[in-house]
Parts: sequence; C-alpha cells; structure tokens
Amino acid sequence: MTIEFAIAIIFAIVLVASPILLAGLGELVVEKAGVLNLGVEGMMLIGAVTGFAVTSSFGSPWLGTLAAAMAGATASMIFGFLTLTLAANQVATGLALTIFGGGFSALAGKAFLGKTVPAFTQLFPSPLATDPIWRVVFGYSPLVYFSLAMCIGVAWFLKSTRAGLILRAVGENDLSAHSIGYSVTGVRYAAVAFGGAMAGIAGSMFSLVLTPIWAEGLTAGRGWIALALVVFAAWKPYRLLVGAYLFGAVMTLEVHAKAAGGVFSALPSELWAALPYLMTIIVLVIISLRRSGNSVAPACLGKPFLPTI
Amino acid sequence: MQLRLEKRAQPSRTMLYAAPILAVLLTMVVGAILFSVIGYDGIGAVLEIFTRPLTNPLKWQDLGVKAAPLIIIGVGLSIAYRANVWNIGAEGQYVAGALGGTAVALLTMKMQGPWILPAMILFGILAGMALAAIPAFLKTQFDVNEILTTLMLNYAVVQLLYFLLRTVWKDPMGFSFPKTPLFTASQSLPYLWPGTILHWGVPIALLVAVLAWFVMSRSVFGFQVRVVGSAPHAARYGGFSAKRAIWLVMLVSGGLAGLAGVLEAAGPFRQLVPAFPTGYGFTAIIVAFLGRLNPLGVVIAGIVLAISYVGGEVAQTTMGLPSAATGIFQGMLLFFLLAGDVLVRYRVRAVSTRASGETA
Amino acid sequence: MGTDQKPRLELSGITKRFPGVLANDNVSFAVQPGAIHALLGENGAGKSTLVKMIYGIMSPDAGDIRWNGEVIRVANPKAARKLGIGMVFQHFSLFEALTVLENIALGMDAKIPARELEARIRQVMDQYGLKLDPHRTVSTLSVGERQRIEIVRALLLNPKLLIMDEPTSVLTPQEVDQLFIVLRKLAAEGCSILYISHKLHEIKALCDTATILRGGKLVDTCDPKVETSRSMAEKMIGGNLKSIEKPQGRSLGTEKFVVNRLNLPAIGHFGTALKDITFTVRAGEIFGIAGVAGNGQTALLLALSGEEPVDDAGAITLDGVPLGTLDAKRRRLEGLAAVPEERNGHAAVPDFTLWDNAVLTARDRLGLALSGFIQPRAARKYAGEVISAFSVKATGTEAVAGSLSGGNLQKYIMGREILQKPTALVVSQPTWGVDAGAAAAIHQSLVDLAGAGSSIIVISQDLDELLSLCDTLAVINGGRLSKPMRVSEADINEIGLLMGGVHGTPQETHIESGAVHAVTA
Repeated sequence: MTIEFAIAIIFAIVLVASPILLAGLGELVVEKAGVLNLGVEGMMLIGAVTGFAVTSSFGSPWLGTLAAAMAGATASMIFGFLTLTLAANQVATGLALTIFGGGFSALAGKAFLGKTVPAFTQLFPSPLATDPIWRVVFGYSPLVYFSLAMCIGVAWFLKSTRAGLILRAVGENDLSAHSIGYSVTGVRYAAVAFGGAMAGIAGSMFSLVLTPIWAEGLTAGRGWIALALVVFAAWKPYRLLVGAYLFGAVMTLEVHAKAAGGVFSALPSELWAALPYLMTIIVLVIISLRRSGNSVAPACLGKPFLPTI
Repeated sequence: MQLRLEKRAQPSRTMLYAAPILAVLLTMVVGAILFSVIGYDGIGAVLEIFTRPLTNPLKWQDLGVKAAPLIIIGVGLSIAYRANVWNIGAEGQYVAGALGGTAVALLTMKMQGPWILPAMILFGILAGMALAAIPAFLKTQFDVNEILTTLMLNYAVVQLLYFLLRTVWKDPMGFSFPKTPLFTASQSLPYLWPGTILHWGVPIALLVAVLAWFVMSRSVFGFQVRVVGSAPHAARYGGFSAKRAIWLVMLVSGGLAGLAGVLEAAGPFRQLVPAFPTGYGFTAIIVAFLGRLNPLGVVIAGIVLAISYVGGEVAQTTMGLPSAATGIFQGMLLFFLLAGDVLVRYRVRAVSTRASGETA
Repeated sequence: MGTDQKPRLELSGITKRFPGVLANDNVSFAVQPGAIHALLGENGAGKSTLVKMIYGIMSPDAGDIRWNGEVIRVANPKAARKLGIGMVFQHFSLFEALTVLENIALGMDAKIPARELEARIRQVMDQYGLKLDPHRTVSTLSVGERQRIEIVRALLLNPKLLIMDEPTSVLTPQEVDQLFIVLRKLAAEGCSILYISHKLHEIKALCDTATILRGGKLVDTCDPKVETSRSMAEKMIGGNLKSIEKPQGRSLGTEKFVVNRLNLPAIGHFGTALKDITFTVRAGEIFGIAGVAGNGQTALLLALSGEEPVDDAGAITLDGVPLGTLDAKRRRLEGLAAVPEERNGHAAVPDFTLWDNAVLTARDRLGLALSGFIQPRAARKYAGEVISAFSVKATGTEAVAGSLSGGNLQKYIMGREILQKPTALVVSQPTWGVDAGAAAAIHQSLVDLAGAGSSIIVISQDLDELLSLCDTLAVINGGRLSKPMRVSEADINEIGLLMGGVHGTPQETHIESGAVHAVTA
C-alpha cells in the first residue's frame, strides 16, 4: 500500500465521517435537551436539496450551506411545533418528518437533476491544500473543519456554559427546570432548531462536497446512523467524533474494497454496502452490554412535557 | 397570545374519529396550495390524486391490489405500536417474506401441486418473523432500541436481495438481468375472477384485519398488548410480561409483513426483481397511525393510502406530477394526523399570556 | 429590617380556578416579618396552589398579593426570587444526574463563577450548620441531603420570605429537629417563613401563626400554641374527622403470611437492595412497615406483589405455600394481592376504562377472562360492584381511570383488590394524596378485611397512619427491616431512630408524642 493510497483512504474517511458527525452533534444537543427527533434523515435530505438548489442557482456553496442550515432548521420547527407545542408522539413525528423530507427533496430536486455546482474554495493556500501529502491535513472542504470546530464547540457549550447547563437540566428533569423558572419548551425549541440546522448542513455536505450532484435519497440512511452514533457516544461529543470516524472507515472500505485486493475484493459488494448498517446493530449491542442497567441517556428523553400546572 | 392545552377528563370519541378525516382534508387543502406554489395546477392535482381513483371504476381493482399489502402490514404494525414497540423494519420484513417464498418457489420450479403456494406463503411468513426476531431478541435480551435495529435491517435485507438476484437466484435465461425466473402456475396467487387483476391477497387482507380486530379487542393477548403499551408498570403488576409481549408483537408484525411480501411476490410480481421493495413497509406506518392503531381502521386507512398511490400514478401520466409528490402527501397526512391527535386528549385554548395575571 | 408594621406578605381575596375545581376561593391572610407562619390543610385543600401563585409558577384568577405593603404581580419564579421569595419544594426540583454545585447554580438567576459560588455555598452551610459536598452527584445523596441543597439554594438569595412545602414528609424525626433549628435561626434573623404542612404536632412546635385551609377556602387564622391539636384537626378536616372502628380485644389468628430472608438486588441505578427481610403476619393482623422514602419500600412492594420474583421460593409463603418464584398473576391466584403506591400507570392504567382495569387484576380470580378471552359483561358487573361498594365517584364503568380524582381512583383500586377477598393484601401508601373522607373509608376497609381473617401489610411513610391502623410495626431502612414491635408498646423515639438508621443511644428529640394520635383519636 503506497502512501498516496493511504492518504486517499484517510481523505475519504474524513469526508464520509464529517456529515455524520455534524448531524450527530445536532441530534446530541437535541437529545440532551430531552427530545428525540428521529427526523434527522428527512432534515438532511431537505438540507441537501436546498443547499444544492441555492448553490446551483446563485453559484455560492457558502450561500447554499447557509440555506441548507436554514431549511433544516425550518423543517425541524414542524417537528418542534407538533411535539413541543402539541405534545405529539416524538417517534411518530420524527418518522413523519423523514417521510416528508424524502418526498419534498425528491420533488424539489426534480429540476436540478443532472446539474452541477461549483465547489468550495480551499480554506488553506494552494501549496498546502494540494500537496499530495499535506492535503491530508489542509486539503479538506471547509465543512470538514467546521464539523471539527462544532465538535469542540458543542462539548464546551454543554460542559462549561450556563446555557449548556440549563439545556442539560431541561433534558434531565423538565418539571424541576420548569418549577425553577426555565422555559422548558423554549430551550427545547432552540435545541431542535440547532439540530435541524446541523442536519441541514450535513445534508448539504452530501450534495455539495461528497458527490456534487443531486440524486433522490442520496443520504442513504446516514441520518439513522448518526442517531445510532449518539447512543454509541453515550451523549458525549468527543466519543461521537470517534464513532463517526470509525463508521467513516467502514463506509470507505466499501468503495476501496476492490482496490485493496485480497480478502476485501473477494467478498460480495453487497456485503460491504450492508456493513455500516450491520455494524450499527453490533455497536448498539456492545454498548448496551457495557451499559448493563444504568442508562446514561437524558432522563426525559422522548417524554412530552406540558406545563399545564 | 399563546396556545394552551387543557387535558380533557375523558378522551374525546368524536375527535378520535374526526382527527383522521380532518387530517385527510387538510392534506388535500395544503397539498393544493403547495403544488400551486411550485407551479402546478394544485387543485387539479389534488382532485386527480384523491378522486380519480374513486370515480374511475377501472382503477378500483388497482386500489384493491395496492391496499392489500398496506392493510396486511399496517395491521401488524398497529399491533406492535399498541404495545409501544416501534417496528419500523416492515419494509425489510416484507422483502424477507418475498425472499422466503421465492426460495421455496425456486426449489419447486419443476414440481406441481396445490401444496406449493401454501408452502411458499408459510415460508414467507416465517422469513418475516425470523427477521423480526433479531430486533426482538436484541431488545428483550440486551435492551437495544428496536427503532434503530429494525431500520438498519431494512437496508441489509435489500442488499441481500440484490446479492441473491445478482448471483445464485439469477434467471439463466434472463439476458443477464438480475431477476429470478417467472413463477409457475402452482407458485402464483390465483385471481379472484378471470380477467381482473384482483388476487387472493385482497380477501386475505380483509380476513387478517377482522381477525386482528377480534383478537385485539376481545382476547387476553390483545389486552396484554394494550396494557404493555399504555402502562408498562401496570402490565407487570397485572402479571403480564413485557418481554413476552415484545416477542409476540414483533413476530406478529414481522410475520404479517412477510405474508404481504410473499403475496406480492406470488401475486402481482410473479418473480423477484431488484425493484421489488417499493416502500409499502414505510407507507404502512402511516396506514397504522391513520387507522388509529385499530385493525378495522387500518382497512380504511389502507384504502386511503392506496388512493394516494393510484392517484399519484394517474397524476404522473396526466399532469406530469413527479412520483415524489406521493411522499409529500403521505408525510403531510401523518403530520396533520399527529397534530389532530392532540385534540383527542386535549382542548386547545388560546390564552393571552399578559391578561391572566392582571387584577383590578 | 423595616420598623414599619406592614406585613411582609399579604394576600387578599386570592382565587384560582381549575377546570372543575375551585382550588382557592377568596383566600386572605398576612405573614409578618420574622414570623413562622403555618399554612395548614389536608391534601387537596389548596395549599400548594396558593404558594405556587406566591412563587409565580401560576397566577391567580382574582385577588391581590402585597409585598411589604405594595401590590405586586409575580410573573414567574425568577420575579419571585428577585423580590426575595425563596421556595423549597415538596417534590424536590433537583437534577439527579448533575452535581450539587450545578443544581445550585441552576437555581441562581445571576451568573456567578463556579468558584465564587462554591465559596458562598460553604459560607451559608457553615452559618446554618448544613453539611453537603458540592461536588457530589445528586443521585448519590439521601433525601435529607437533597432537601439541604434546596435550602442552601434558597438561602443563597438572602430571602425575605422562605416557603417550605411539606418539608418534613420525607425526613426522620431527628432530621426534622435539625431543620427546625435552621428555620428558627432564619426567623430570628428576620426572614419570614411560610410553612406548609398537615402535621399538627410540627406546627404546634414550630409556628407562631397558622392559617387553615379546607377545600380551597380559608377556615381560620389562629395561634397554634393556644390551639389544641384536636381543635386544629377539626378545623382542617371539618366534619370528616372520623375514627377507625377497630373491634376491641380481637385476637389474632395463626401465622399466615411469612417472609423469610427475602433478598432482592437493587433494581436500576437508584434502587435499594433488600437484605434478609423477615417478618410474619398472622390472620387478622395489620402489619405496618414504616420508613423514610427511598429505603427499599418500592423494592419490597415489587418483591411481595410478584412483579420482581425472587430465586428462593420459600422466601415468601402464604398458608405454607411457597410463592417467592411466582409472578404477580400466579400469586394472585394463590390469594396474595398488592396495591402499589402509584395509582396512575401502576395500580391502574389511566387510559383504560374502569372495567378494563378490573380485568387487569381480577381476570383469573373472578373469571373475567375465560380460555384466553375477556368477558366484558362479567368485568362490567364486577367494576359496578366495586364502584357501589366503595362509593367511588365516577360516571360509570366506562369512565377512564385517569379521569377519576386521586381519592376515588384509590378507593376503586382498593375495592377491586378487597372484593376479590385476598388471603393476604400488601398495600403501599394507601392514603397518599387522598382526602380525609376517602382515607377514612380506605382505613376502615382494611380493618374490615383484617377482621374477616386476612393478613394485611401496610407500607407507609406516614407514621401517624401506621400507629393508628396497625397492630404490629417494623421499620425499613437501607433495605433492612427492623424487628417488629407491637404498636401499643412502641416508642416514638425509637421508631424515629430506626427510620434514620441509627441504632445507638437515643438522643433528645422534641416530638410531642401526644399529638401523634390526635387525628385518629
């Protein structure tokens, strides 16, 4: 294995892992606030198509990404209104959002099939970003660096800021937070909007960076993997980072299996395609084995809250 | 101004039945607006989708054929969701059912006899159950969230389907297309009446729904499922095992999805092709909710969703509406339904946040 | 401190209406600076609603709140704290997974750096003799320690009025004494205290003034030092004060229900393990299990009801039949019934009709389900019988359980179990949150069932209830059960020490034992 090949693989892993990390970070914050939004996949698709449409129309991937974040946040507000204001079942509403997102993105994307979009400009100057070796550090899409910054930012926010403390408190005991005088619904709306924006950006990474074309359902269940990774990470941002890169590695294997030769190319390609999903299941089993009984999930996760009294 | 929810002392029966109807109507209205906004004839599209399949007798058979799998899967899911077991892997279990039935079919290509089709159906059901048994086992033994496991298995089973069609099950006479040979007469689901496309899956779906309704409303099994879903602690207090309930509802919902899969393979398809998974397993989630998790309600909901499918196809050909439109309608339908559900348990009151505390 | 004679807090004509109930009806009273003012009333009298309005969690429909003479509108708890109103909740508003420090920080409106906050916490703790480790996670603390967090949190804001909502319901008599010392010190410094309770002896011991509420209305404002427990109890309960009719001089029968070295590992992260629980209940005996919340009562009920079967079949026997390994359904068939403390979602399914809830526990014993199918007619008939025999106020057998008031649902649940004529009945907190009328009816039905020869086990945190109801009493602490003692010979100080897990020499306590029997005398 040449160094170029190794670098190509690392490069691919990072690219594949970043959207999962972004979407996962968003969902992590949402869940820390006590809300389970299963609509990540749907919000990603909405973000993907919006990002692509805006970039394709206005020529700026930055504008596209911003639009994707706003679209994801808007979509998440449908979920927020139903589950937070109307106290609808969070599982069912999340599923509805995913179904809706699939339909919406397919319809909206119809006009953009076969179109192309301009790429992001490199963040670092060209000798660094294009160097065959150093590109492994400097040559990524700006969104990759953004995902890493967000990981640090979310970890810091949750651990060291007062707003983060309030958010955790709301997810831990909504009634108490309410009786002390915090707006449970307000905090949750903010968290859900953040989760939506992050999922939107994650989606735009698919359509703008990974495969800069629009195709129906191009996120291929990665939103669900992000959800699983939040559980895997025990609601800790840095563990989410590790998890995302681990999965990035598995997904990259699928693409590079043939080139790697040996045992890798002997196995059917369908197995490689199924591997991330199967691995998710295995990972879920491993964590619950390790956890055995005392859960680290936010205590109010998925429970509706109505400040009626 | 703020919306406040006030819990009703007793869930409203009127709203229980009115909410789905309201949801359908709202979906039509908002759908019309949405499609007008993006440049289609919105009202025309909605009428085309929701009324054409009903007014055109030629489409009635289509409705039955589309509704049958939705009802069969939806009934199973309605039972699982009653128990608060979130099986969203019906799509995979449906494909697994087809795989199970096709395995029997490929082994009996050269045989004949009335036992072949029942054997296919039996294996289809068993395959659906077997796939559902994995999340059931993981949930009861290791407390692994079934939402994620059932969903992940959908993707894995579809890859298995592709693999089989590409390799061992490929029809040698199929011009290297990835598909199985056509099923023989003994392997195919007969039509109800010659000259129609209505097959035996339609009455089977109705039978399944009626049976499920009876079991859910009258049997101790149904009671157990309802208690486990509504109040798990009370269930244990009443001497019901949650684990047993999880196993039962996963096997029932997986088995029914498998049944739908094998009927679809032996009926309309008569072979397996890569395009076999058409999303019935996901649509059936909406069917289950729209039917109020009541098997008889699921029949009506199955027909409504079948209308949106058939109507969607009509609109595709007559108005050039993209097929994805159906997904939007389905998502909106579920949104409105969930929002309307709130009215069953709560009264919505508009209160002014300022005024309530003011005193003279 | 102001020299003017304006009351610290004055309520006039406070009214609050909920759908179907008038929670507060034209309530007026005043709390003086530095006074310890009791708000007395039984469960459901409207005390909590009233203080929630003072603390800004709810707003009154009518009436004025005056603070140091000025009419104010308390928009939310934050506004209340800004005025100098602090509150210690009955059900602590704490966050289990967070540390003491984080919990306190959440209760502070100003943003204070963690280090500075910690220093201030230590200062307050020193000043009032409250012990706490700021870096412990709340889930690892005892109930008394948790209350201290709430108190420290309130004190950090230098309150002018401290509202204490039923602060002693979860404390041992010794912890109660410590709390009273802190409260007296605060009052001496000029802080007013609004002390909510339904425990008469506490109010006599602590308070300067008492305002008594009944059914949302103000009954009287009086001086508890002058009043007798009996007179206050009558004001509080009205005409409902009824004593339990225990047949005098009844003899207890043979040993019926025997628990022998019952062990159960802790369930979940916050559970308590049961260790070698041993006791015997005879036919006709009412056996009480006292203890502070969180000492294994929940686990004990689950182990006895069969919801958590144990490995040792012989650990629980009824008339010599080993039941330890059986589940709840099979134990019921053998004659052992149970009623857990949580009504909604445990003893009953709130979304189900009353007759469905009859099927939940009576389906096998009374044939409400035959060969796998429910018999709706039989179930409705039985539910109807329970409703009329226990005078349950409900629209009928089709009413959903969740629509009943706490007292009525509890009567229905008790009736559902008692009419099945169990050989042994285990009940936890049978009158928790139930009005006095219903409580008396429930107590009487338990006495009657015992009179018919059944063994009854009552798990309760309400010592008064146990002392008036039971023949025998044992205390559970840290998952271990004390030696049973006859109620007629029991010493309140000893029970208090056992509840606190102390087994050494009794120290001085200030419980007025005379008041304990007041309500039921």
